Amino acid sequence: MNAPAPAIDIRSLRVDYGRLIAVDDLNLRVPRGEVFGLVGPNGAGKTSTFRVLTTLLEPTYGEIRLEGIDALDDVAAARRILGYMPDLAPVPSDLRVQEFLEFHAAAYGLGNSAQRRDRVVECLEEVSLSDVRTSWCRELSRGQTQRVVLAKTLLHRPRILILDEPASGLDPLARRELRGTLRKLAERGSTVFVSSHILGELAEMCTSLCVMNRGRLLASGTAEEVRSQLGVTARTLTVTVIGEVDPAASWLATQPGVNDLRISGAQICFEFRGSDDAQADLVAGLIQAGNRLKSFEEKRSTFEDILVEVAASNRRK
Amino acid sequence: MNHAPTSHPAWNLWSNPIFRRYCRSRLRPRGLGVSVLIAIILAGFITGLAHSIGARNEVNAVDAARFAIIPLLVLQSLILFVIGTAQVSGGMTAERDEGVIDYQRLIPMSPLAKVLGYLFGLPVREYVMFLATLPFTAWALARGQVEWPVWLPLYLVVFTSTLLYHLTGLVTGTVARNRRWAFLTSVGMVFALYTVIPQAAKAGLVFFKYLTISPVFEESFPRLLPKAAGGAIATLQQLAPTARFFDLNLPEAVFTVFSQGGLILTFIIMLCRKWRRAESHLLGKRWTAGLFVWVQILLLGNALPLIEPGSLFPSRAFSQIRQFAPDWHPNPMEAVIMSGLYGLVTMILLFILTRMITPTPDEQLRGWRRARKQGTTSLPRFSDASTAFWITGFMAISGATGWFLFTLAIIESRWFPGQSVPLPVWGCFLVVMLVAGLSYQALLETRGGRAVGLSILLVGIVPILAGTVLGTISDRMVPIASWITGVSPLSLPFYACNTVLAVAELPVQVARAIPRAFFFWLIVYVVITVWLILQLRIFRQQMARRVFSNQDDLPEGAPPLPPVS
Repeated sequence: MNAPAPAIDIRSLRVDYGRLIAVDDLNLRVPRGEVFGLVGPNGAGKTSTFRVLTTLLEPTYGEIRLEGIDALDDVAAARRILGYMPDLAPVPSDLRVQEFLEFHAAAYGLGNSAQRRDRVVECLEEVSLSDVRTSWCRELSRGQTQRVVLAKTLLHRPRILILDEPASGLDPLARRELRGTLRKLAERGSTVFVSSHILGELAEMCTSLCVMNRGRLLASGTAEEVRSQLGVTARTLTVTVIGEVDPAASWLATQPGVNDLRISGAQICFEFRGSDDAQADLVAGLIQAGNRLKSFEEKRSTFEDILVEVAASNRRK
Repeated sequence: MNHAPTSHPAWNLWSNPIFRRYCRSRLRPRGLGVSVLIAIILAGFITGLAHSIGARNEVNAVDAARFAIIPLLVLQSLILFVIGTAQVSGGMTAERDEGVIDYQRLIPMSPLAKVLGYLFGLPVREYVMFLATLPFTAWALARGQVEWPVWLPLYLVVFTSTLLYHLTGLVTGTVARNRRWAFLTSVGMVFALYTVIPQAAKAGLVFFKYLTISPVFEESFPRLLPKAAGGAIATLQQLAPTARFFDLNLPEAVFTVFSQGGLILTFIIMLCRKWRRAESHLLGKRWTAGLFVWVQILLLGNALPLIEPGSLFPSRAFSQIRQFAPDWHPNPMEAVIMSGLYGLVTMILLFILTRMITPTPDEQLRGWRRARKQGTTSLPRFSDASTAFWITGFMAISGATGWFLFTLAIIESRWFPGQSVPLPVWGCFLVVMLVAGLSYQALLETRGGRAVGLSILLVGIVPILAGTVLGTISDRMVPIASWITGVSPLSLPFYACNTVLAVAELPVQVARAIPRAFFFWLIVYVVITVWLILQLRIFRQQMARRVFSNQDDLPEGAPPLPPVS
């Protein structure tokens, strides 16, 4: 039996705005049931990619398949399985929360009015907002608005969720809940494609992610694979030595991959580039060389560091 | 529970979620209550006042009731046409401003269902206000003994006109940049329909009056008035034409619905295209060409049958008012101006439709890149990205032909014995239309809307204003003023008619200046047009070559592309 088509399959996607190339030759496959993150600095092409995926923007060319459906040819079928939450999550000012959600439930044809009302209650509970059901949409805080729109996105149980910056405006508690909600959705079989500037969180909530810059895909895979593909494998190691520091420092300075060595009291701090195995060998070698270690600490580059690196390379170009 | 999303049939308005959403938001008791109260107070005041005036003047009950009908109709028209249209365009723009329109794009409803949801949903409060005034109208009609064949066509046309204006508001709201522009454009259009356009209708472009309720209202007018006044007007109306379309003699209401129906259909198609793809042109190239030809047929079909009885000529209407009818004869200059006006209106329509279908440089670039990706070296002929040059040429030829037929029918009518319009006149009209249409199109396609806007201002409008100022200084300046006014392409239809039609005599100085200015500027424009067409050709070739040959935007290692044909 054939394997099921990937949830999202993007081939040779190109989006132009006049002379500006917003997305260039993007090829990406997102397997079903993943929480997939999209990372990139401003102007990387994230929103253009999302708008094409959601059929709101016609690409210059390229192929988009959503669970095997050609999204450019069969727009209606693609829209049925999609849920989209745009950046800044707008809501209508003249409706109450319940009315807004019931309108969308009706638009998606979700059963009779009682069933729709139940589904609205269910979705509001899922985003922990049952208490604002009768409030005007215009009176909600930014975080509440985000959650209401997330509830709207969940209404028709879309198989693919596309969430543009869903965590912006949310307090830490709500962010944790969002992570839980997205994981739950993935467990139920939905695929979540999410972008965020809070990259640490994205790494925590995503099973895989990709990095875009200037319309091009720089790397994709698990967090570790992305680090490796981007060449951001450096980590900062700190060892605290009992006794003489200099012999240990001299030994380390001769080892491959060790750079930027600094001594501070009994501590030696240095940057190390190499695999996890090489790191283990380094520590073992240091002990075998007769040094007594009191402690050992590793600090890896965060995704913020990656983004800063990517943005800096942007400016250099 | 089945959560599989379903689609909504467009015809079932009551289950249309967009319509119901607006019923909810616009029919809230507080807002609706005030609006309905205002409508009831005004309608009640009108009815009460009419009745009390009748009682004071000891008019019978039937006539007293009839006094109220027309003021009530005016109130209803204001509610539906002005407030309703403004609400539709403003509401649509608000959806875009708030950003929620993207949600509506994604919901699984057909474009037609979405259009109908907005069309009837956005102005739903105005419909309720209208309904609140209906009991007063019903009372006045019943008490005034107005029969249903009188009021039914009138209210049918009120309804179709409402749809037409609301659709205009919807189109404006969909494309206008902001709420203020949408409001001004749509309300301005309704205002123009009842003030400016009837003047064009009086000068031979009869079709335009069928975009309003005026013809049906005028037909019903005598039977809505108190019987004595109505009888006098009815006698006067015997002289007025009914709706004639070539050899057909149709009831005004039927023809109005027919004329408006075409535009309603066109507007719905525009909106469906926009709902399907936000980047689409309002109309496709084939539909645009068809619409242009259809308008020409309507203009001719309404005008030609009215030439023989003389009712097409504006002076005929004046003569009827002054009771000079027996020795009335159209002024030859009148015929020349009517022909010029036909040419001008056709030219403006050509500009508007060309604007709709001409691709921007960005759209062309995307089109070429798409073609390259698909392995072809040309764009589909009728796609949005393809050039509008050929369609503009076709419309210019159709427009020149319509203009020629109109002129031929007027000049060779019984009113101007011995006059003829030879075939070279068609050639002259054709050159005027082609020069105006193609230069506009080529400029638009190569330089964009800003350059065209500036050209219209500096070359189209300023020379006319300057010529008018100069011409009023003294008679000696009139020839120079004629030369300066002739710079404007908008003056070309009038200059052409004055030059090639020998029917009217102008003052000697003007009669000499206009043909010379006309031919001089026409030759200049022909040269400019040829140059612009060459520029357009070069522009398109360069763009295609850049996309196909340079391959500068292709990723490294991409396979070589086929040469441009």
